[in-house]
Amino acid sequence: MEREVILETQNATKHFGGLAAVEKVNMKIYKGEILGLIGPNGAGKTTFVNIITGMLPITAGKVYFKGQDITGWPAYKVGRLGIARTFQIVKPFRGMTVRENVAVGAMFGHGGHKRSPREALEHVDEIIEFVGMAHLRDKHADQLTLPYLKRLELAKALAMDPELLFLDEVMAGLNTKEIESAMELVRRINERGITILVIEHVMKAIVGVTQRVFVLNFGQELAQGTPHEVLNNPEVIQAYLGEKFVERFFRQQKAA
Amino acid sequence: MSDKEKKKAPIRYSPLDGLFKGRQGVLLGLFALFALFLAIFPLLPFASGFWLNTLTLILLLAAMAIGWNFIGGYTGYAAFGNVAFFGIGAYGTGLSMIRLGLGFFPSLMIGAVAAMVFAILIGLPILRLKGHYFAIATVAIATAMGEIADSWTSFTGGAAGITLPFFSPIEWSGQFFYYMAFLLAMGGLLLTWFILNRKMGYSWVAIREDEDAANMMGINTTWAKVMAFALSALMAGLAGGIYAYWKTFVLAEEVFKIEYTLQMILAAVLGGTGTIFGPFIGAFIYYILITLLVFFLPVGQLHATILGVIIILVMVFTPKGLMDFLSGKKKLSVNALLENIRTYRV
Ligand SMILES: Nc1ncnc2c1ncn2[C@@H]1O[C@H](COP(=O)(O)OP(=O)(O)OP(=O)(O)O)[C@@H](O)[C@H]1O
Ligand SMILES: [Mg+2]
Repeated sequence: MEREVILETQNATKHFGGLAAVEKVNMKIYKGEILGLIGPNGAGKTTFVNIITGMLPITAGKVYFKGQDITGWPAYKVGRLGIARTFQIVKPFRGMTVRENVAVGAMFGHGGHKRSPREALEHVDEIIEFVGMAHLRDKHADQLTLPYLKRLELAKALAMDPELLFLDEVMAGLNTKEIESAMELVRRINERGITILVIEHVMKAIVGVTQRVFVLNFGQELAQGTPHEVLNNPEVIQAYLGEKFVERFFRQQKAA
Repeated sequence: MSDKEKKKAPIRYSPLDGLFKGRQGVLLGLFALFALFLAIFPLLPFASGFWLNTLTLILLLAAMAIGWNFIGGYTGYAAFGNVAFFGIGAYGTGLSMIRLGLGFFPSLMIGAVAAMVFAILIGLPILRLKGHYFAIATVAIATAMGEIADSWTSFTGGAAGITLPFFSPIEWSGQFFYYMAFLLAMGGLLLTWFILNRKMGYSWVAIREDEDAANMMGINTTWAKVMAFALSALMAGLAGGIYAYWKTFVLAEEVFKIEYTLQMILAAVLGGTGTIFGPFIGAFIYYILITLLVFFLPVGQLHATILGVIIILVMVFTPKGLMDFLSGKKKLSVNALLENIRTYRV
C-alpha cells in the first residue's frame, strides 16, 4: 500500500554566505507518522525547518505540502495552511497570559478564520489542559519556568489546528521525568491525527516515540530508517554520534 | 455544572488587564469624571480663553500620543517621525481649503487620508527594519518631508507658508477647536479599545513580544504593522489638520518640528506605553512637567535636547510609565526605579 505523503522537499538547500547549512535534502514525511530528525549540533536541523516554514528564504529546491508547491511562501501563510512549529529557543509572548498566548494560535492559525478573539480564548481551555497547564492559565508567560515554556510552545502550535507539526527540541533542558511526560504528550498529539517531525538530541525520546528517523550531517542526508537501523548504522555512529555519545547512549539503554 | 464553572472563572484580557478590578476600577471611574469635566469645561464660568487654549493644545497632544501608542506602544516599533503625519495633515487640510476651496471638514478628511496613504507607502519598506534602524529611518523621513515642504514653494508656499480663512463665527472659535481636539482624543481612546478587542490588537501585541513567533502563528505581520502605522498617522494627521485651521497658518518649520514627535513619545512614555489611557493621561503630565521645568529652570524655552534627555530618563527609570505606579502595580520608590533598570536592561 502506498502511504500518503504530507510533506516533501526536493533538493531543499540553504546557504548562509559560503556556508551550506542545508544541502540538497530530499525528505518525505508520511501522513500520520512521527518522524525523527537527528544530527549533531549545527547539522542544519533548525535551518531545515526554517526554510520549510518560510521563516527564512530558501536558497534552492522545492517544498510541497499535500502536493501543493509552497516553496518561498511567507511564514504566516504556511502557518494558516496547516503547518505549525515550536521554537528551539522558546518564543513566548511575555506580556500576555498563557491563555492569550495559546489563543493567538487559535485566532490566526489553520482554524483561525472561523473564530473571534473571544471564541479563541474560550476554545483554548482544552488545549491548555491537554498540555497540563490548566493551573497556569492566567499567569503571564514571563513567570513560567523552562519546562512550562516548552509546553507553552507546544500549546501555541497545537492551537493552530495543524496537520503537520515540527517540534524543535521541546525536550532539551528537561529532566528525565519531564522527558517521559513530554514523550507521552507527543504520542497523544499524534493520536489526534497530527503528523509530527521531532528534532531531538535525547536519543531515548527518539527511540521511544518515532517510527522512522532521518539523519542530517553538515546539512546533508546521512541516513534514513527505523530508529534501530539508524542508531546501529556504523556511518551514523562514527561520522555523527561520536564515541562519547555512543557510550552514553548504550549506558542509557542499559539503564532503561 | 460545567456551565457554572465557566461563569466562575471569567476570561482575562491582558491588553485590558486589570482595567475593571481593584484600584484600576477606581482609576477608570476617576477618568470618567475627568472626561465629563473636560466635556463641560467650556461651559464653566472660569473657562477663559487662556485655559481653553491650553487644554486644546494638551488634547491635541493626547490625540497624537494615543496614535503613537499604536505603533510605538502596542506594536513596539520606535517611530520617531510621527510629526511627518502631523505636517501632512496640516498641509493637506490647508491646501485643500485654499487651493480647492473646500470646506474644513472635507479638507480635514483629505489631510488625514493623505497622512495615512503616506504612512502606508513608507511603512511598507521601512517597517521591515528593526530597532534603531527603523527609528533612524523615521527621523530621516520626517526631516526630509519638512525640507520638501519648505522648498517646494509653488505648491506649499515655501517659507512664506499658507494662510487659511478664519473659523466663523469667530466668537465661537475657541470652543470649536477645543471640542474638535476633545472629540479627537476621545475617539482615539475608543479606537484603541475597539482594536484591542479585535484580532488586530492581538497581532500588535504578539508582534511586539516576538515578531517571528507572531508570523509563524499565522499573523500577517506586514499588514498588521502597516495598519498600526497608518492608524497612528490618522490620529496625527487629524490633529495636524485641526491645528492648521486653528492657527489659520501652516509653515513647514512649524508643523514638521521634531519636538512634536518627541512630545508625543514623551506623553505616551510618561503615562505608560501599551496602555489605553496612558498616552492620554501622559499628555497632561507632560504639560504640567514642562510648565514646571520652564518655570524653575532658566532654560527660557525647551529644546529638543532637553525633551530627549527627559525621554531617556523616563525610559531608564520607569519604562512602563508612571501608570505603573498610579495603578498600584508598583510602589514608587528608589528601589522600584532601580529594579526597573535591572528588569528592562536599559
Ligand atoms: N541565521 C543564520 N545566519 C547564519 N548562519 C546560520 C544562521 N542560522 C544557522 N546558521 C548556521 O547554520 C548551521 C546550521 O545551524 P542549525 O541551527 O540549523 O543547526 P541545528 O542542527 O539545528 O543545530 P542544534 O542541534 O545545535 O540546534 C550552523 O553552522 C549555524 O551556525
Ligand atoms: Mg537547532
